[in-house]
Amino acid sequence: MTDHNSDIVTILLSGRIDSTNAPQTEKMIQEKLSGHEGSAVVLDASSLEYISSAGLRIILRIKKAHPDLTLTGVSSEVYEILDMTGFTEMMTVEKAYRVVSIEGCEEIGRGANGTIYRIDKDNVVKVYNNADALADIQHEREVAKLALILGIPTAISYDVVKVGNSYGSVFELLNARSFSKILASEPDKLDWCVDEFVKMLKKIHSTLVPSGKLPDMKEKALSWARFTKEYLPAEAGAKLLSLVEAVPHDDHMIHGDYHTKNLELQGDEVLIIDMDTLSVGHPVFELGSMFNSFGGYSEWDHNVILKFQGFDLATGQAFWHKALSAYLETSCQAKIREVEDKARVIGYTRMIRRSIRRHGLETEDGRAEIELWKSHLLSILEHVDTLTFSLNELEIEATTDNLSEVQTFVNERLDALDCSPKAQMQIELAVEEVFINIASYAYLPGKGNATVRVEVTENPVSVTITFIDRGVPYDPLAKDDPDVTASAENRAIGGLGVFMVKKTMDDVAYEYRDGQNILTLKKNL
Amino acid sequence: MLNIQKTTENGTALFTLEGRLDTITSPTLEKLLRESLDGVSTLILDLQGLEYISSAGLRVFLSAQKLMNKQGTMEIHHANESIMEIFEVTGFTEILTIK
Repeated sequence: MTDHNSDIVTILLSGRIDSTNAPQTEKMIQEKLSGHEGSAVVLDASSLEYISSAGLRIILRIKKAHPDLTLTGVSSEVYEILDMTGFTEMMTVEKAYRVVSIEGCEEIGRGANGTIYRIDKDNVVKVYNNADALADIQHEREVAKLALILGIPTAISYDVVKVGNSYGSVFELLNARSFSKILASEPDKLDWCVDEFVKMLKKIHSTLVPSGKLPDMKEKALSWARFTKEYLPAEAGAKLLSLVEAVPHDDHMIHGDYHTKNLELQGDEVLIIDMDTLSVGHPVFELGSMFNSFGGYSEWDHNVILKFQGFDLATGQAFWHKALSAYLETSCQAKIREVEDKARVIGYTRMIRRSIRRHGLETEDGRAEIELWKSHLLSILEHVDTLTFSLNELEIEATTDNLSEVQTFVNERLDALDCSPKAQMQIELAVEEVFINIASYAYLPGKGNATVRVEVTENPVSVTITFIDRGVPYDPLAKDDPDVTASAENRAIGGLGVFMVKKTMDDVAYEYRDGQNILTLKKNL
Repeated sequence: MLNIQKTTENGTALFTLEGRLDTITSPTLEKLLRESLDGVSTLILDLQGLEYISSAGLRVFLSAQKLMNKQGTMEIHHANESIMEIFEVTGFTEILTIK
């Protein structure tokens, strides 16, 4: 059977090809190729059982006359021969796809592009939504390999199979359980799950990817923002787009679909799977998609998360807040809220676009859901001025009430250092005096934010704390020191705070730059 | 944050402070002192459990000292090392009677 296309000749090989029938086989092939000199050739090996070296020599001769030669439907046995003899390096050899049924199989994961089922004790198959998924499968394999080489524990598919009309890729995953499953069945393991989940997240985010190896998530986020912008009031839409545009390029890895269904516990090893969305970019893009998974998608219909993750919204939200706190290495609620709001900007932008593209505007429920997300997005856009964040920087409203939040944040940054109680108290004192000054005077009669940055240097160990506000220009160091020898009756009530800061810190500096009061305190430890 | 224990006996008021005396907690102590010092000739502030003091706390001590200068005496007991250091830096060791 031969199919003569304009430029491709397909020839079916069947049974066994060895020295006894090689000459006839070659003759048959030559006849079919006559008149198609130099055209591309596909050898359909789906019913080929065996091929000996005599048969391989025929293939070599065809390859010489027809350099564009492909073998398809190759069985595992024949593939092994081709692989051993180096033929797989010389030409395109496509293996026959094993057919796998997922009937009655447990669903263990679900991502943007496919669903993962356990097919037996040791193996899982990821079935792709897209019927024409071979390129996607190839992509996922490549990026999973890259991740593995860069030190991220993951599973790499070893086989491509047919599942109904779709393609699937098979992974070995021995007795693994997803974190979603653990959370659903063993609520007391929540804190352990958070720890492992964040450990893996930090590992991914600290992995530097060679330039150009992975797609840039910012490009995707920009396309979401351009789409969603059209459905927002003009000013808010423009702000949204400029916020995403201002996120700096980052060559660190992000997973792109990081949630507890994609984290697997195999023995005592934690693996991250579903790597097809692997990208590079700023962590805020990751956090945006995490916010959606653990709550955003369920804000209107609270059952979404239960169907998807197997645990309820309260569990999802608790997990998200604990994970964010651990990721940011702080229990300071203001810091957690600051970063959560930035993540939500990305999250809502993505969900609104996704829902509208899936005809969300055409149903009452869909419209209500989009409206809810939109209202949250608009209210956050009013006070968020950047989507970037830093673990050693807190932006907080300068009010007296927020003092303990600032103290918590600063103290946690110093936890790892061996501060003497005296130095600890002096730092706390300085933080209080400076922050309370800003809270009391900088923005009178209105309100505004202060930024507190904590930097630690080694050798010698010192800590530098910087306070920034955009209030009235004021140099607290310019004031004369109070007379500390005066009697109680003659003592002035003010000025003591700044004086103590000067006395207890090793270096205190003030500058006014770009409309900002910048006060820097340095303490050697 | 800040715990205050107050006992008054025969014109002597004893305030035992525990915790932190900062911008947030100082107003509580200030208010309590203002309400409690009528007829008091000896005020004792026991700082055994006090871990932290900022300028807001110093100001409360200063105004209490000013008041007590008019009607009797004020003593500070059991200030820990860190707090003593603050008293020294600010010259409060000269104003307060520290025992």
